[in-house]
Amino acid sequence: MHPVVRRVLHGGGFWPALPAVAFLVVFLVLPMLTLLAFGFVTIERGRIVGDTFTLQHLHSALGDQLIWRLAWRSFYVAVISTVLALVLAYPVAYLFSQTSGIWRTLILIAVISPLLTSALVRTYAWLVILGGRRGLLNQTLLQLGLIDQPLRLLNTDWAVIIGMTQIHLPFMILPLLAVLSGRDRRLEEAARNLGAGRVRTFFTVVVPMSVPAIFAGLALVFAVSYTNFIVPQLLGGGSYSTLAVQVYEQTVVVLDWTRGAVLATILLTSCFVFVYLIVAGGSRLSRWSEIRT
Amino acid sequence: MTNGSGPGPAPSTHWVDAVGAAVFALVAGFALLLLVAPSLIVIAVSFEPRAYISFPPSGFSLKWYWAVFENRQLTDSVQVSLMVALWVSLLCMALGVPAAFASIRGTFPAKAGLNAFLLAPQMMPGMVIGIATLFFGAYIAFRASNTMLVLALSVFCLPFVIRITMARLADLDPRLDEASANLGAGKLETFVRVTLPQLGPALLAAGAFTFIEAFDNVTVALFTSDVRGRPLPVELYYLVQNDSTPAIAAVSAIEIGLSCLVMLVLGRTVGLERLGGPATKT
Repeated sequence: MHPVVRRVLHGGGFWPALPAVAFLVVFLVLPMLTLLAFGFVTIERGRIVGDTFTLQHLHSALGDQLIWRLAWRSFYVAVISTVLALVLAYPVAYLFSQTSGIWRTLILIAVISPLLTSALVRTYAWLVILGGRRGLLNQTLLQLGLIDQPLRLLNTDWAVIIGMTQIHLPFMILPLLAVLSGRDRRLEEAARNLGAGRVRTFFTVVVPMSVPAIFAGLALVFAVSYTNFIVPQLLGGGSYSTLAVQVYEQTVVVLDWTRGAVLATILLTSCFVFVYLIVAGGSRLSRWSEIRT
Repeated sequence: MTNGSGPGPAPSTHWVDAVGAAVFALVAGFALLLLVAPSLIVIAVSFEPRAYISFPPSGFSLKWYWAVFENRQLTDSVQVSLMVALWVSLLCMALGVPAAFASIRGTFPAKAGLNAFLLAPQMMPGMVIGIATLFFGAYIAFRASNTMLVLALSVFCLPFVIRITMARLADLDPRLDEASANLGAGKLETFVRVTLPQLGPALLAAGAFTFIEAFDNVTVALFTSDVRGRPLPVELYYLVQNDSTPAIAAVSAIEIGLSCLVMLVLGRTVGLERLGGPATKT
């Protein structure tokens, strides 16, 4: 056998990964460097004009009140939606770990099927539910006599938050599901035998065990919510904007690539900082709960 | 908050426990409803006979499905998306599976660094990958086109394939390979007859997930796809922004139906539980 074929099959070497590494260098690293660079030079029609490095674009973006307002909105919308997702996800994952048979399968289908459906379709579903006078929710509330005027549901922060929470919910459920169904139940039995109630056992035994999974889910859902521009655009309406929406509009609609590059860099950097803080907080907390137990 | 009765043994049927369990079951039920209801509503709305969406639909009609099949722009975009998804899956499998081998079975310095690098794209939002590829393309005088879309989506989807393959590879018992070698099989024979069959379902899952993601993706596609010959998600995106005809619901219903079919097949071959873990990526 050819020695090269043998090395591939035997494993051991670095080089089976070489094509993937080369591919990522050319189509991820170089594009990211270009993106970064475009924020610090002046561009006209996709070409760099007079290659002088300037901080002027970054400076003007950071000095813009509007950008700060939009970044703040991106942040609080993502935070609220992430916390809501955790509150909804935990009981589902816990229920999954406590049941068996057909219920387990049904829960899995409910959690995984949205992942296989496009985010656009799911956002569209929320347009149908929340949209205007004929929206499903308004119609139902009117028929039940709970309201007598249609509520303004679409084009609000809450429409965006609800949509995002639902769309990102599986990302929160899946890590929890894995940890909770694989957990060691003898600890809970011990706690129960020592006289702790179910709620107390849950908060002092089950939750501390799942701290790493909780924070993995929080970091993931925060990141995808913070950088989502489809949901704010469709459920927030034409005049609603966030930092991510602004990146899209500057790049595709206004065609101000310098601004787009600067804002994308700000978006990505701030996202990394927040995710780092969440992960760091998580490992702190899990160390703390280990010491305590 | 959980301990109303102070330290020491508490009665196991305390009211706190009953209320806690009820609240928990209620929230879980609500969350599960929230997960599936929007898809069901979209399917129901797609049968609307009138020209605007309402729920429940005012009747039953398949006319919006016919409208979709007769809409050249939509059917063309489906073709574009199928081609894009096919190329992305092929490229990702060709790059990702060997890479996963290196990062699980390999023994060389800086392996952790390699793994981090290979999985780095999953830290990047689709939009950022899309814009970065667009800018890089412009810089080297390469226009937005569906070739560019395939390349950008492959970057986006590569961690999928690598993670799913790595997870399965790490589970394999290397002693099976040794046994095969001891019984006189060559390396190639061992790979084809021992390793590959065990890897098969994982590769199928990886390919299917990549295909679906590449077919559905809008965050990367909005920046890199061709202006003529748009893929389906981009076409739908502009449609949804300007219009609310039930035709969109019909397209969505078809997509939902197809993804259910894929899930059925994957559930049979791979097992749903195994699918969940490595697939967590936007």
